[in-house]
Amino acid sequence: MADVHTATLQTAPAPARQGPAKARGLLLLGLAGIALIAFGPWIFGTYLLNILIKAFFFAIVAVTVDMLWGYTGYLTFGQSAFFGLGAYAAGLVFTHAGFSISTALAALGLAIAGTALVGALVGWLSFYRGASPFFATVISLVLPIVLTQLLLSGGAWTGSSSGLTGYETFDLPLEAWYWIAGTALALVALLGWLIVRSDAGRVLTAIRDNESRCTYLGIRTSQVKIILLSATAVVAGLAGFGYGSFSGVVAPELSGFVLGTEFIIWVALGGRGTLWGPLLGAVLISVVSAYLSSSMPFAWQLVLGCAFVFVIVLLPQGLVPLLLRPLHRSGPGAFEPALIERIARPQTGRPAAAPALVLQGVAKHYGHLKVLQGIDLAAEEGQLVGLIGPNGAGKTTLMRCMSDGAERTAGGVNLCGHDIRTLPPEECVRFGLGRKFQNANIFDTLTVAACLRIAGTILERPSLFTRSPTLALPSYALEVVRTTGLAGKLSAVAKDLSHGEQQALELAMVLALEPKVVLLDEPTAGLTKTERTQIGRILSSLALHHGLCCLLVEHDLDFVQEIATRIVVLHQGLIVMQGSFEEVVHSDLVKTIYAGSAHAAPEAA
Amino acid sequence: MTQALLQLKDVSSGYKASLVLRKLSLSVASGEAVAVLGKNGMGKSTLLKTIMGYLPKASGAVHVGGLDITRHGPHRVARAGIAYAAQEHALFTELSIRDNLRLALAKESAFDERFSEIESVFPVFKTRLKQFAGTLSGGEQKMLLVARALMMRPAIMLLDEITEGLQPSVIERLAEALLGERKKRGTTMLLIEQNVPFALKVSDRFLILKQGEIVDEGSAKAATAVQRIFDHLRV
Repeated sequence: MADVHTATLQTAPAPARQGPAKARGLLLLGLAGIALIAFGPWIFGTYLLNILIKAFFFAIVAVTVDMLWGYTGYLTFGQSAFFGLGAYAAGLVFTHAGFSISTALAALGLAIAGTALVGALVGWLSFYRGASPFFATVISLVLPIVLTQLLLSGGAWTGSSSGLTGYETFDLPLEAWYWIAGTALALVALLGWLIVRSDAGRVLTAIRDNESRCTYLGIRTSQVKIILLSATAVVAGLAGFGYGSFSGVVAPELSGFVLGTEFIIWVALGGRGTLWGPLLGAVLISVVSAYLSSSMPFAWQLVLGCAFVFVIVLLPQGLVPLLLRPLHRSGPGAFEPALIERIARPQTGRPAAAPALVLQGVAKHYGHLKVLQGIDLAAEEGQLVGLIGPNGAGKTTLMRCMSDGAERTAGGVNLCGHDIRTLPPEECVRFGLGRKFQNANIFDTLTVAACLRIAGTILERPSLFTRSPTLALPSYALEVVRTTGLAGKLSAVAKDLSHGEQQALELAMVLALEPKVVLLDEPTAGLTKTERTQIGRILSSLALHHGLCCLLVEHDLDFVQEIATRIVVLHQGLIVMQGSFEEVVHSDLVKTIYAGSAHAAPEAA
Repeated sequence: MTQALLQLKDVSSGYKASLVLRKLSLSVASGEAVAVLGKNGMGKSTLLKTIMGYLPKASGAVHVGGLDITRHGPHRVARAGIAYAAQEHALFTELSIRDNLRLALAKESAFDERFSEIESVFPVFKTRLKQFAGTLSGGEQKMLLVARALMMRPAIMLLDEITEGLQPSVIERLAEALLGERKKRGTTMLLIEQNVPFALKVSDRFLILKQGEIVDEGSAKAATAVQRIFDHLRV
C-alpha cells in the first residue's frame, strides 16, 4: 500500500482485553486436537479408530456446511451430494478400471473436477440475480435427491441400491488412514478458521447480514457465493473421495438428502457459525451413534432425537459456545484496527467531460400507478443538488432508479459517462455511485471497523487469510467517523449503536467507496442539530473540495439552504421546479404543497 | 400538578452487560407532555423500549397509575393504555393501511369514527386505505405509525422521533394534532425528538438525557429553554 500515508489517528492505547487468555485457550484446544490426531492409534481401539476415521471425513463436510450456512447464511441440504460424488468417483473408477496409481489419480481428478463443475452449476442456478434464499435452499434439496435417483437407476454400473463394494483401494494400515483423515480435518478446519477471521471472510458474514447493502458497495455477491459453493463442493468431494477409498464401500445413502440434513443437525447442535462446534458435533455424534446403534439398535435414534430437542430448546446457540463461554468474555469484536487515511485514487476510465449524472425521460410505473414520469435531470461534479418534495412524491423511487438499472420502466440513466442499461446495483456502484439509504442500512452483527472495511472491498481487495492492522479510509469518510464519535467505537457491534450512529456509519461506509456520485436519502435523520451542522459541513466540502456530485433528499429546509447549490422539487412523480433555494422555497407552489407556514415567513423558523 | 401517571423509579437497563439507563427516575403527571432530548447513544430510545417491556429492567420499577408494569411484556404494557410509535420497522408491511390502523382497535365498529378524527391530520391515507403499508414511502410509513398510535386513544403515548423524514407542513399539522389530543383527552406524552422546536411546541417540560441519566430538566415554555438545550447538545 504505497499510496497510504500513515497518519494514525488513534493514539490512545487499546483498552486492556482478555485477548491473551482467549488465545491461550484456543491454543490449548488446538494442541489437544493435534495430540489426539498424533497419538490416537495408541489410545483408541480398532473399532473406535474405524468410526473416527469416517467421522473425520464427515466432519470435514460439516465444516463446509458451517461456512455456507453459519457464516454466509445459505441453508443447504446439498453438501451430501458433493460428498457422494467424491465417494462414487473413487468407487466407480476403482471398480471399473481397477486400482493403480494412475487410476487413483484419475479418480481424484474426477472427484475434484466433477464437484467443482456441479458446484458451479448449482451455484449459478441458486444465486443468479434475483433468486430468493428460499429458492436456493430448495435447489440444494433437489440436488441430492436427483443424484440419488441417478445412482439408483445406474444398474450394475453404479450398483443401484446396494452400491459398490469389494473394489481394490489404497492398501494402507488403519493408523495411516487415521492420520490422513485427522490431518485433513485439521487442515480444513484451520483453513476455514483463517478464512472466516480474515478481512475477506467478513464479507461472507456481511452477505448473510445484508446482501442488498453488499451489492450497493459494489460486491458481486452472486459471484462470491458461487465461488464459495464450488470451493466447498470440492472440499466435500475430497472428503467423500477419502471416505470411499477408505471404506471400500459406497452406497447411494452417501449422497442422499438424509445425510445432508444430518450435516445441518450436527452443525446446529455443535454451534452454528463457530467452525469448532460443527467439527466437534459431527465427530461426537458419529461416534455416539455408532456405539448406541450397536448397544440399543431400536432405541438409539429416539435417544438422539431427544438429545437434539433438548439442545435446541435449552441451548439454541449449540453446545460449543456454551463450552467456550469462559474464553469468550471479551466477545468476538475485540479486534480494533488503527485508522489511517487513504489518498483518493486517480480517476481512470472516465470519458472526459461527461456530466456525472444524466437522467432522460425516466419513468417508473407500478401497474397503473405512475410513481415517476418523464424525469430529466443532469448534475455536474461539484454540485450538491437538494431534492425536496412532499412525502410520497417519489424521491426515494427516483434514487432507486438511478442506482439499479432494473428499476425504471422507461428512460435512460447515465453515470459518469456510462449508460447503466439494466445493470444491477453492484455494477452501477463500479461506475462511481454511492447510495445512502433512508433507514440505516448496515451489517448488524459486524463491528464498526468491519463494516467500514467491507465498504472498501472493491478498492482494496481484502486478504483471504489475515486481518489488516490498519483501516484506510478517504479523508472525508474519516471526518465523518471522527466527528460523530464512531472512531472511538470501532470495535462496537453495529446493531448496538444508536440510531444516529448507525446513520453516520452508513454514510461513512458509502463515502469509503470513494464514489463520484453520491445519493443521500435523508443522511441526517435522527441526528442532533449539532451533528447535522457537522455532517452538513462535510457534505458541502464533498462537493466543493472533492468534486463529488451529491444528490440529497432532505426535509430540513434550513439544512438544505446551507449546503445545496441547486434545488429540485419533485411532486407527484414530476419535477415541478428547479432553481436556487430562494427562488424555490419562497415560491407559492412550494409553500402550498410542501413547506407550510413555517417557511412562508422565514423569520418564524 | 396532578398525580403521576407514569412513574419510573431507579430504572436501569441495557443490552447484555452494558447498561444504557442508569438508575433513572422519572415521573410524568397525568396530562403532561415531556420531551426527552439528548445526543445520540445516550439512551433515549432505550428508555421507551424499557418502559414498553421490550428490554428487561436490570433494576428499578415502572408504574402506570397504580399498576406495577415492571415485569410486563409489551402486550400487557399496551393493554395498560400505553401506545408506542417506534422509530423503525414497526408496521405490518404486508397488510393494508386500513388493517394496520384497524389492529390498534379492539372492535371493528369503532374504526370509522376513530379514523374520521385523524383523517384531516393525514389526508394521504384517506383514498389509499387498501394499499399495502410496505408500498408507502419512508415518510408516509412514519405517519402511519403515529396515526395508529392516535387511533388507540391511549392514556399515554410514547413517540420515538416521529418527525424524522416528514415534510415541514406535515410536522406542523402533527404538532397541532398532538396538542389537540392533549386538550381533548388529556393524553399524557413522552416524546423523543431531534426537532427541538417541534418538541418544545408540543410539550410542557423537557429532559436532557446523557449517558443514561437525566442531567437537566426545565419548562418547555421558558424563554431560555432553547438555549439551554442547545448548550447540552453541543458538548
